[in-house]
Amino acid sequence: MNAERRPARAWIQYAAVVRKEVLQTLRDRRVMFMLIFAPFLQTLVLGFAVDFEVDRVPTVVADQDRSPESRSHLRRVLADGTLHFAGGADSAEQGAAALDRGAAAVVLVIPPRFGSDVAAGRPAEVQVILDGTDPNRSNVAAGAVSRYFGEESLRRAGERARAAGMAPPARIEVVPRLYYNPGLKSAPYIVPGIAAMLLVVVTTLVTAMGLAREREQGTLEQVAVTPVPASVLLAAKMTPFVFIGFFDVLLLVTVGTWVFGVPLRGNLAVMALATLLYLLSTLGVGLLISTISANQQQAFLGGFLFTLPAMLLSGIMTPVDSMPRWMQWLTYANPLRYFQEIARSNLLKGGGFADLWPQLVALALFGTAIFGLAAARFRKRTG
Amino acid sequence: MNPAHSIEAERLSRRFGSFLAVDDVSFHVEKGEIFGYLGANGAGKSTTIRMLIGLLTPSSGRASVAGHDVASDPEGVKAAIGYMSQKFSLYLDLPVEENLRFFGGAYGLWGKDLQRRADEVLELTGLAEHRKAITGALPGGIRQRLALGSAVLHRPSIVFLDEPTAGVDPEARRSFWRLIRDLSRGGTTVFVTTHYLDEAEYCRRIGLMVDGRLVALDTPAELKRTWVPDRVLLVRGRNLTAGAAALRARPGVRAAEPFGAGLHLRVDPAAWDGAAVRTVLEASGGEGVSVEVAEPTLEDVFLAVVGRGAEAQAAQEVAP
Repeated sequence: MNAERRPARAWIQYAAVVRKEVLQTLRDRRVMFMLIFAPFLQTLVLGFAVDFEVDRVPTVVADQDRSPESRSHLRRVLADGTLHFAGGADSAEQGAAALDRGAAAVVLVIPPRFGSDVAAGRPAEVQVILDGTDPNRSNVAAGAVSRYFGEESLRRAGERARAAGMAPPARIEVVPRLYYNPGLKSAPYIVPGIAAMLLVVVTTLVTAMGLAREREQGTLEQVAVTPVPASVLLAAKMTPFVFIGFFDVLLLVTVGTWVFGVPLRGNLAVMALATLLYLLSTLGVGLLISTISANQQQAFLGGFLFTLPAMLLSGIMTPVDSMPRWMQWLTYANPLRYFQEIARSNLLKGGGFADLWPQLVALALFGTAIFGLAAARFRKRTG
Repeated sequence: MNPAHSIEAERLSRRFGSFLAVDDVSFHVEKGEIFGYLGANGAGKSTTIRMLIGLLTPSSGRASVAGHDVASDPEGVKAAIGYMSQKFSLYLDLPVEENLRFFGGAYGLWGKDLQRRADEVLELTGLAEHRKAITGALPGGIRQRLALGSAVLHRPSIVFLDEPTAGVDPEARRSFWRLIRDLSRGGTTVFVTTHYLDEAEYCRRIGLMVDGRLVALDTPAELKRTWVPDRVLLVRGRNLTAGAAALRARPGVRAAEPFGAGLHLRVDPAAWDGAAVRTVLEASGGEGVSVEVAEPTLEDVFLAVVGRGAEAQAAQEVAP
């Protein structure tokens, strides 16, 4: 009889816990759905739905002039696709009623004698009434209207100058050149952000609730009387989630590339390292929440109370630069901010270790601190 | 530590805020014995166990388990013992054999060793046919046997069982206690808490806790002798009235009350037995007399102990 090669005790314990965690996860259909299918679905849904591009804004026109001049302007201002004809009105008031009903977001009023004023070279006014509920949309719509009429006035000024035998006024043109995302598509920008949000939701909540469930059912106490050290127990419990986290990132990047045209410009090793450090933070927060929760409901609420503000203060949906100063300071303590910056820079701009080391270091510091704190509390509570 | 002792507790106390859950408790448990720990809910049984297995640090006093001090070497204690908690705490969503595999691994069992031990435990607990069953789908009695099996997988020298048969039907309880006695015969020390007094009869020695204090500790027979000193005799027959009066007049007879058609006697066991009682009754005209000795039960002991505890407390409260 030859003796089996026997691994160190800590490895045996580690393997036993990992095996148990994997079996439990595989058996729990809801968790499997949450970990694997939901991220896939959410990427698709959010990728298609979250669209910062504004077009086809419903517009009601009140043409009180009814001249060939006014009709031609209206046709042309509606032609570029930003504004979309949603009906006519006799007066500004009638148009505003359409705004109230939600039938239109823009009312364009051309006052009487507009055509004759313009033809005579007298100053003429066009009124725009905007629904300010969605600031971004009204800005874009107002921009489209003023751009059109601005260019139109310039063109007229030039014509008049030429007719008078003078040189037309000099034009200053802005020539934008867009780097990284030349089509100004929302999806390539938003998909890396979705990765940051999904990972925090999935790993923080599942860890917090999983441990709270073990505490609730008494199995954590049963494990605490075995000689498994708390460090081995924690490492083993987190292992499957690290794999699932990597799987989710891979899934998101794949879907992002194939479906939404996210370019993969950077070194994916940076992305992998960032994912690992980010998971240290999110799993650490989950663990910390579980140590202050008595049951699964509390853990769920706790997870929610962390993830929601963390997502809002991450710069994923709204730029950090446009937040109030004190809130900007808060974002420095938010692992989502760093992961989001790394993911976008790495995938869209090809940012590498040289560009992104400050974010990587920040993630590493935050992760170590939060995980260390959580592990210390966990050890104290399980004895 | 005395080498014949598996557990020694010395002036062990545990305080939660202002509540003294365990108050100055000292005892020892000998190797291989079944030691019963009895008391009402909240008397401090579970708190004592939790200190002995290293889950809770004592507020004062010391205890050693299998030669390891519970305060300074809880890890040594954990490796040496098995524990089955009051609440069923294996993984309900896993099959029986996966639970054994997990807890075996947690104690460092590996490969063929683990496989062999798991098979042995399944055999011992009669669970071989359920090995693939999901634990949560098994009836309570079978689950308790699995929990015990899981607690002894790593062949601990001591097992702590906290109310192991709570909520289990009588037949399952009996088969569970058969397992416990098998373990003890195999040399394992068993420390068990229960509030089923009939089960406590199986224990070699019993400690009784009242309000955090260990008020009595001995073998069941000795406890009965000390706490229920009278012998209870049940007498049947005819024409017993005159005899009863005659008995009441004799020394060593503490009570003789009519009970149904017969008599209920409480006597000093040193002075009276069944034959002596029958002689007196027949001399006073009794006919067809039969005397049966009613053994005192642990329930009588428990009531006497709790009553004494309450009296002591009342006396304390009255004292200035």
